[in-house]
Amino acid sequence: MAAGRLTVGEMAQALREQYGPPLQFLVVVIAVWELGAWALEIPNWLLPPPHRILQRFLEARNLTYHTAVTLSEALAGFALSAILGPVLAAGIANMRFLERGVFPYIVLANAVPIVAIAPLLTVWLGYGVAPKVAVAMIISFFPIVTNSARGFASADYRIVRLMQSLNASRFVIFRKIQVPTALPYIFAGFKISLSLSLIGAVVGEFYGGGDKGLGYLITATAAQFDTPLLFVAVAILALSGVAFFQIATVFERRLIYWATADVATQR
Amino acid sequence: MLRDVGLVYRRRGREPLAALRGIDLDIRDRELFAVVGPTGCGKSSLLLLISGILDPTAGEIVIRGGPVAEAKARTEFGFIFQDAVLLPWRTALDNVRLPLEVTGYDAARRDQRCRELLAFVHLERFAEAMPHELSGGMKQRVAIVRALAHNPSILLMDEPFAALDEITKRKLHLDFLEVWEREHKTAILITHDLYEAIFLADRVAVMTPGPGRIRAIVPVDLPRPRTLEMRDSEAFVRQARAVRELLEG
Repeated sequence: MAAGRLTVGEMAQALREQYGPPLQFLVVVIAVWELGAWALEIPNWLLPPPHRILQRFLEARNLTYHTAVTLSEALAGFALSAILGPVLAAGIANMRFLERGVFPYIVLANAVPIVAIAPLLTVWLGYGVAPKVAVAMIISFFPIVTNSARGFASADYRIVRLMQSLNASRFVIFRKIQVPTALPYIFAGFKISLSLSLIGAVVGEFYGGGDKGLGYLITATAAQFDTPLLFVAVAILALSGVAFFQIATVFERRLIYWATADVATQR
Repeated sequence: MLRDVGLVYRRRGREPLAALRGIDLDIRDRELFAVVGPTGCGKSSLLLLISGILDPTAGEIVIRGGPVAEAKARTEFGFIFQDAVLLPWRTALDNVRLPLEVTGYDAARRDQRCRELLAFVHLERFAEAMPHELSGGMKQRVAIVRALAHNPSILLMDEPFAALDEITKRKLHLDFLEVWEREHKTAILITHDLYEAIFLADRVAVMTPGPGRIRAIVPVDLPRPRTLEMRDSEAFVRQARAVRELLEG
């Protein structure tokens, strides 16, 4: 598992293997797009060519600001769910009342389309950042709760029996067995929810009537037929989602060192 | 000691299932007592009763003159399962230490105790290894000494060698006997392998299914320490045949 030291040549080789094919494909797509837009004389407002999008990216002002706003809203909403979700899940996994009485309503709430809740949150919380954070939180809550609850409930019954035979309290069993067992599941929920939280923040901005954030930028540029800038905003969102996911994966590997693929099947 | 013990599982929406009926066992102190029987004869339920995880629906169980709950309160039980069930986030040493952490064993001496135990089963060099780095047999050896860590007086073993290949199993039998002779605990071994039962135990109880009953208790006539050659001896073969005939019929 511990990879030995790689030479520079081997490292370059590994990078080529991983990133070579997608980069080649990207070059082809951009070339076809660029040539197609030029040959077919497609107007900028309909489908701008890649060089035009890049140009717009370089001349746009406030991009960093809009990006920062949306990312902070998403992360704040995610953070709230990442704290509350596992706490509630631990209760659901250990208390019959919560599992039977409360969990069905969480499922029900999740079945309501988030776009149907967003306007209501604006009515309640105003036009500021709060409703956007709330939408991001709500949308990221469900995957965290369900995955964590499953995790807390997956402690091996034999080890639980062993602990009970040692007169371990429920809290000790929770801390020493259930929590570590649940961690990989909790992280699986986190990874799903991080991408969702971005969607939540953007949806919140769509319906929130504010004047900042990438969601606002998308509605505003669409209204003005500034399609190149719209593409820029979409690309930033996509790349942010990928970045979130990658960062979460790094944390996961550090924190849950035992749950790599080859461990998962063994006990 | 079990006196006329019965166990009926109540099942929602179905007929209650009688798992055990009229079980009388007098297991002696520091004895290695094996229970053999076919799958589903209720022999694993026996361990659940002895350890107080389930209560019998008939009869009574007495451990060292007191009820099961008292023995449980004194943490007198050590468990070994078919799979090692090690915690994958803990090293071998930390897995062995788990019972010590829970029972409040002198914190300063925990690691030393665990290292000694791992040395009993020849794993001293693997103390810092993670479970996924250990073979199946090694994991089971860790599980065996984990069961001994808090110095229980009764070892409850539920088919502890059943998941191992034949060669590993024979080796582990010897390792286990070595540890057992050193620590000399009362051990109750549940198994479906009658050869294993005879090779390891002082006495073998033969169970029959539906509901589980004790058909006979056979004392094993082999000297200790046991050696692998004994498995080919005439005495071993004769006793194995006797137990097999009891099982079959």
